[in-house]
Amino acid sequence: MHTLTIAWHTLLAFFPPDLSPSYLRYVWLPVAQTIGMASAGMVVALSLGIPLAIYVGTRAPGWQGIVGLLSALRAIPDLTLAILAVVIVGLGPAAGMAALAVFYTAMVGKVFAELFLAAPQAPLESLRATGAPRLAVALFGLIPLTLADLLTFGSYSFECAMRASVIVGAVGGGGIGTELVGAVNGLDYPRATTLIIILALLVASVDTLGWLIRKNPRIALVLFPVGVATMLLNPPQVFVVRHAFVTFAGMLPPLLNPKALAALPALLWETLEIAVGGTALALLLALPLALGAARNVVHTAITAAVRRVLDVARAVPEIVWALIFVVMAGIGPLAGALALGIHSAGVLGKLFAEAFENVDTAPVRALEATGAGRLPVVAFGIFPLAIGPIAVHTMFRLEWNVRAATVVGMIGAGGIGEALFNAQQHMHYQEMMAYIAATWLLVILADVVGERVRRRLGWNYVTT
Amino acid sequence: MLSVIDLTVRYPSQAAPALQGICLHVAGGERVAVVGPSGGGKTTLFRAVNGSVLVQSGYVALEGERVGEARGAKLRALRRRIAVIAQMHDLVDRLAVYQNVMAGALGRWSSLHALRFLLRPSGAELAEAKAALERVGIPEKLRSRTSDLSGGQRQRVAIARALVQRPTVLLADEPVASLDPARSEQILALLCDLARERGLALLCSLHQPELAMRYFDRIVGLRHGRVVFDRPAAKIEPEHLVFAS
Repeated sequence: MHTLTIAWHTLLAFFPPDLSPSYLRYVWLPVAQTIGMASAGMVVALSLGIPLAIYVGTRAPGWQGIVGLLSALRAIPDLTLAILAVVIVGLGPAAGMAALAVFYTAMVGKVFAELFLAAPQAPLESLRATGAPRLAVALFGLIPLTLADLLTFGSYSFECAMRASVIVGAVGGGGIGTELVGAVNGLDYPRATTLIIILALLVASVDTLGWLIRKNPRIALVLFPVGVATMLLNPPQVFVVRHAFVTFAGMLPPLLNPKALAALPALLWETLEIAVGGTALALLLALPLALGAARNVVHTAITAAVRRVLDVARAVPEIVWALIFVVMAGIGPLAGALALGIHSAGVLGKLFAEAFENVDTAPVRALEATGAGRLPVVAFGIFPLAIGPIAVHTMFRLEWNVRAATVVGMIGAGGIGEALFNAQQHMHYQEMMAYIAATWLLVILADVVGERVRRRLGWNYVTT
Repeated sequence: MLSVIDLTVRYPSQAAPALQGICLHVAGGERVAVVGPSGGGKTTLFRAVNGSVLVQSGYVALEGERVGEARGAKLRALRRRIAVIAQMHDLVDRLAVYQNVMAGALGRWSSLHALRFLLRPSGAELAEAKAALERVGIPEKLRSRTSDLSGGQRQRVAIARALVQRPTVLLADEPVASLDPARSEQILALLCDLARERGLALLCSLHQPELAMRYFDRIVGLRHGRVVFDRPAAKIEPEHLVFAS
């Protein structure tokens, strides 16, 4: 009861937000920087990621090697990349952009490649049979066959990039992330609330932009001038590079003292518990929410309300939820799992709802024609038709959450991130690299297991 | 059994009506083919019979009950009595064959019953699915994955689902459009046998007039939304069919 009272009073301290004109004038520049960094990251990610995905999707020679490389890159958390980028490129938006570019090239490349590989093969075979070259097969087969999912995932990853753009700021990558961490660390909760509201509005407008892009993909071209301008305005500080290489060389080889090594398995286990617990909580919340948000399942008056709830859960990054839950529920893995669960429920809820809405209409209409009611049509048609994307999204989320679980530790929400952050703060760079390597292996393991489970879920529904 | 009385349907986006003053009666056990060029109104007619298109004037009646006026639960109750077999694309791939077959029973099951069946089908339900699949000639596919079936097998599963629905009217919209000639004939023979054996009113749209003449009692020609002829198959003259090809 006492803890609940404390939690309640902490929550009250976040209100009302600081909306004074002087503060709003002040945050304008960091907000613009955050948008620009996300756009620049996506410009690089799309220009490099799509060609790589096409190369993999057409099963060109050595495509497995590219998948391996992309998976390996993707397995390094964005915040960790940002810490490294800050060391190499120097403080400021250039570091943030570099981290986002690397991370989202790997993400776009890998996810698009998976979608291409999962595309129906028969139409592609018939294209190949005409003697069409690879690029033609991609343009006339792969991309049209997977376009709905490509656009969904492309705009979704732009949303992620916008949130990540805030996150990388937290370790010196520029933008409102730096402001937010400063406000929370300075116990200036009203300004933190203002920044969280701005963040939510930002993500909501990116959501709308994503919807517009799905309707008219040409709108995505807006990203290019914004991204390129931000890159030109924020060049890396070259003189830091030489120093950075020296520092980077000092981080190698990764090394742990015996005591830290003995504690490592328990740390990894706790990280996994945060990730699995968070994903399970998210799945439990997301399935009913997604049905309530799918316009082909319930009335649009209800979907609009449910979607706002999902938007709020999703707009606030795990790290920020973790900041709030650590303040409210105390330091430890529970705060981490709650943070991942709430944020992922928002992400999965939206993706599941889109999966429900994207199902083939012919079988659903056939079921309705038998006189079946709403719930049976969902159970026999919409749900099984969407189970593939649902399994894929959940497994991707679990992978993502393993990564996120390593990151939330950095602000006291448990797991390996705490040790990583402490090593970095004490400039024990070899130890830090050892934790990064352990994180990396953990994420790769999650990737492999995810792949297997995804495949099995696809089959399980049939063989009751 | 099934009566279409002076039916007119007009889509908002089009100047010409999709159907104009259609009159049609199909008795139980009678097998009627609808032929005509694409865009002649065949699909609209089927949708009107199934109550999924707004009717401007006239009506469709099933054993005296008007389909167009029903809404909600009443419409669902009427739809339960009309089984629809479309082209082979209307099965849920990810379900097992028996689950797709028993989906025909969804109209008479409660939602709870439907969910329970997905989790744990009873022996009686499996037996019913098996019997339906036996009637269409593929009992061995009971537990197969639907996506593993060939086009002809999928069409048989769709027919089995229609049987489980225990309808009084069977609507088949281009049921053989994507099948080869030998399979097409098997499927049409099966549909016609079932209609006779269970006393169903069978209304089937077809592209191939020669198949229509071979298997059906009566042939209705539909063009520009109007009935251009409606006569027994035996009395069809070659000139009737020129327009359809």
